[in-house]
Amino acid sequence: MPRQEVLEKTKLSDRMFLFKPCVGSNKYPGLITASIEFCRKLGIELVTSDDQTCCGGFLTFTNVAQPTSTMPAVARNIAVAEEMGLDILTLCNGCHTFLTEFSHFMNDRPPVKNVVNVILSMIGREYKGSQDIYHSLEIIYKLKERIRANVTRSLSAMRFATHYGCHYLNGFKKTALDDPHMPTIMEELIEAMGGEIAEYGENRTCCGTGLTQIIINKEDLSLPHTKMKLDNLNAAEPDAVVVVCPYCLAQVDRMQQKLNYRGSGKYRVPVIHLVQLVALALGVDMVKLGFEAHAISFKNFLKKFDSIHSKAGVHDG
Amino acid sequence: MHETNKEWLPGFDKKFAELTHQMVKDLEKCLQCGKCTGQCPAAKLSSYNPREIIRDLRMGNVEKVISSHELWLCFFCSGCYAVCPRDINFPFAVSMLRYAALAQGYGWEEVKKIKDPYAQDYYSTGLSVNVNERNLGVRKEIAKNSGTDGRIETVRRKMGLPPKRRVSERAMSEIKFIADATGMTDLFKEINKKKAKEKKWNYGSPADMVKVKKGANQKFIDVEDEEKEKIC
Ligand code: SF4
Ligand code: SF4
Repeated sequence: MPRQEVLEKTKLSDRMFLFKPCVGSNKYPGLITASIEFCRKLGIELVTSDDQTCCGGFLTFTNVAQPTSTMPAVARNIAVAEEMGLDILTLCNGCHTFLTEFSHFMNDRPPVKNVVNVILSMIGREYKGSQDIYHSLEIIYKLKERIRANVTRSLSAMRFATHYGCHYLNGFKKTALDDPHMPTIMEELIEAMGGEIAEYGENRTCCGTGLTQIIINKEDLSLPHTKMKLDNLNAAEPDAVVVVCPYCLAQVDRMQQKLNYRGSGKYRVPVIHLVQLVALALGVDMVKLGFEAHAISFKNFLKKFDSIHSKAGVHDG
Repeated sequence: MHETNKEWLPGFDKKFAELTHQMVKDLEKCLQCGKCTGQCPAAKLSSYNPREIIRDLRMGNVEKVISSHELWLCFFCSGCYAVCPRDINFPFAVSMLRYAALAQGYGWEEVKKIKDPYAQDYYSTGLSVNVNERNLGVRKEIAKNSGTDGRIETVRRKMGLPPKRRVSERAMSEIKFIADATGMTDLFKEINKKKAKEKKWNYGSPADMVKVKKGANQKFIDVEDEEKEKIC
């Protein structure tokens, strides 16, 4: 159940700054194009900027750069959106966490904000803290009824498992749009687009990236954890699993390939970001969804999807 | 191994408070209820135990914690924070404790693994992920799925995008300036050459540290990958 007060605070505007995620640009480019296209269909223009870099917060929490280095790097990225007077839409649990946590940290501590701005003034920028930072789940949920009214390719008879990831719900347990233990907002969205839910027990466990564990303890921790999650997921027989973070997407998609390659089982569940799913239901051009960049094929998924639609006599735009 | 207070050092926590940006102080509120450990993915697979680490910190065994192997097993999933009745944001504490460990010479080999591909990419391209797919297996799958050579550049072109995401020259010079001015550049150099002190403490027996190593998942380690890869 969404928290009403968070939902009320979420502001929709006609133009928003799309904060491009690294993984979502250079590994899964469909996230960017799908977001731009489905928002256009709903009357929202997403603006991007080449002045935006990696959010920068990742480097702090992986301990390769001190917070004193990454704070100005994060503030610089937010300043790029502020200069355009736009609120920020993030597609990644990580970007969302770092932008939000660091901006709160600076807003609550004027001396820190001042020091950051001394550095930013040397590059001709300023961090004001004037714009809102949103997770794509918040904006998409806010658009739920508009989405429902604009579905041209219903997801009916398709079964979806959900994976919320860690950092949005757990990290913001008091301020996120939904409760971290039993969230339902993604399920509500899928149902609003006509889809069905495949429930599984390990829904709320980490994808296994573990921020650094995929790098520092891949064989011992990350991979076995992902395998455990995937085995549980497979038993629910979903047509696809829906995520809201490109890191989760990369882990669940690519580790299936790895486990298959190593002969550790048969893993064939396509992984789809919520923005791609919404774009699919709203009839965005298939090329713009970027399924071709995924390691696990969407062939069976699309076959089933198309056969349902041709039976129903629905024309796929 | 059972918990011990042999290493108890009065005043250690205060000494380290500064190093840890005061984040560790919230741990005083811990009830030792163990809810954190009960749902922790790292605890499930290894001898890592957040409740036990907090207990040690509260007793002043900071050296033990920062020289431990276990400090480097946290997933940063924040599941512990989500269930904690005292709202202790333990992964934040872990991150800060890792800085404290680095200050004492431990863990440099771990941050080097992260720095090499990701932070270096950030420094040279502005993004911590580049378009080159180092895992040939994934490239083969993408080639099959897209009817191309499997390179993301090609798939991006097919989608009407430039071959890789652009970052402006202005942005690059700005982040380099910030990195130089705030010590990030120097820290990267230090990570390259620093020799790590050997970690001293194992909460479990060393062989036990990662239980899965010994058991059913042995085949994970035995099979060689096609190529040294980077997932994302
Ligand atoms: S859940 Fe919180 S209060 Fe309970 S042991 Fe863990 S940190 Fe302490
Ligand atoms: S954040 Fe770390 S300590 Fe907390 S539950 Fe996740 S892995 Fe365990």
